[in-house]
Amino acid sequence: MSESLPAPPPPAPAGVIHDIGYRHYDGPRLGRGHAAAALAVHSLRGVFGLGRTARAKIIPFVLFGIMMLPAVVSIAMMAILQERGVRYTEYAIVMQAIPAIFLASQSPYTVAPDLRFRVLPLYLSRPVTLWDYVGAKLAAMTAALFLLTAVPLTVLFVGELVVDMPGAVRTSEYLAGMAGALALSVLLAALGVAIASFTPRRGLGVAAVIAFYLLSTGVSTAVGRVLEQAGDFAAASWAWLISPFFLVDAAVQVGVFGMDGSGPGGYPEGVGVAAAIMIMVGLIALSVVALIARYRKAASR
Amino acid sequence: MNGVIAGITYRALLGRRRVWLLVLLPAVLLALAVLLRVIGADGERATVELLRTFAIGVMLPLLGVIAGTGVIAPEIDDGTIVHLLSKPISRPVIAQTKFLVAASVVAAFATVPTFAAAYLLIGLEAGVASGFALAALVGGVAYAAVFMLLGVVTRHAVTIGIIYAVIWEGVVGNFVPGARRYSVQQWAQTVADQVSSSAFLTTDIGIGFAVSALVVVSVGAVLWAGRRLRSFSLTGDE
Repeated sequence: MSESLPAPPPPAPAGVIHDIGYRHYDGPRLGRGHAAAALAVHSLRGVFGLGRTARAKIIPFVLFGIMMLPAVVSIAMMAILQERGVRYTEYAIVMQAIPAIFLASQSPYTVAPDLRFRVLPLYLSRPVTLWDYVGAKLAAMTAALFLLTAVPLTVLFVGELVVDMPGAVRTSEYLAGMAGALALSVLLAALGVAIASFTPRRGLGVAAVIAFYLLSTGVSTAVGRVLEQAGDFAAASWAWLISPFFLVDAAVQVGVFGMDGSGPGGYPEGVGVAAAIMIMVGLIALSVVALIARYRKAASR
Repeated sequence: MNGVIAGITYRALLGRRRVWLLVLLPAVLLALAVLLRVIGADGERATVELLRTFAIGVMLPLLGVIAGTGVIAPEIDDGTIVHLLSKPISRPVIAQTKFLVAASVVAAFATVPTFAAAYLLIGLEAGVASGFALAALVGGVAYAAVFMLLGVVTRHAVTIGIIYAVIWEGVVGNFVPGARRYSVQQWAQTVADQVSSSAFLTTDIGIGFAVSALVVVSVGAVLWAGRRLRSFSLTGDE
């Protein structure tokens, strides 16, 4: 049949139908560090709902707004009444429900979808290693919590500088508060992401993280109060450490920086400070180990 | 009530990791009761305090969130709810069945441990054990209904549920007395106060208001969830 046709036109590129335009990449390859950093930034944006639907932005930004309220009220009090409001070191503790809900509602987002859709092998087929992946997720959650707790402190500090209250500026208290916020962010992020990573379901992850917060706080308060009523203040001071917020307060703000405690009772002194720091570091390490173990298993499926 | 749906829902609720969370909460309550017993702080006041703040204040809303949203939200999340909705079963019946499952689970995991914890501490003194057990039952039923409705209405059911339980009932309720009138916990405590004669338990809501509010909220939430399922639209994941 082909003989009857006129001479074929000049040869078009053969097999053009299959060439869907994949091109070779010749640009610079930025490597593992950049990939991990990109993953961390992407996760951090996602925690605040940036790059997601408008609905996903509501909860983080409303919580952030509530977190800012005491700072705004305190600045107004300083400006109008010449009175100091909330202290820097007690800020996160007074508002502890907000970071806890933020952690519970957002940490499952960072880990659950990847587990649920089993895309971990795709990440790991790139230069990113398991440690990079877990590190990026932890860094993103830590940064998000630090923004949530440190921005109000900084706004409050700037407000204090601008209002120019009588008396010295509380710089050391501000710095202690910032260190406390950083330690709290690391601890909460590690615990929250570790707990959330055990279920691929977002809803259950949220419930599990908030259950952890409410249980630790509830047990700490119940045991501490009962021990104080029984007159055993030494034992009660240890009971407060069950709550992660008081643990960080005792370890960093009171222990390292020598500020006044913001808990319902005193914290253990002397060896207790070292113990509080050890417990805090131990909990973080335990969470990271649990996360790595969890992801080893998830990646091998 | 549909037996097959109930069976499937029970399996989904109790057969996976969810059940560990459901077991953990009552276990902590009982552990606390044992601890109080061991250190000798097992007076009526400490018992009422433990049950009020921990059993009703922490355990009950958490069980409500886990069971109430757990009966329906994962199915909506997965999209497998279409298999259920495409069957010739009345949607209100589906909602009622799921509610009964959630309510029975909350009741079982909350009522029995609450009674046991109180009994362990002070026996049957002053009706504290039976009062709080009844409170856990009625409160758990109301929570199950409300959180199931939330699970049907929104994809962020668990988050909104815990915001209600922690911020509204926990923080706002402590500072704004008026907010206590609109809190499942407070209604449940009022019921406990009615049964128990303990002087350490005081509530500031009338029993009539509390009981009618519990009934209205439970029935209303189940009916609304049924209506909502009738015109249910599956939206994609974000």
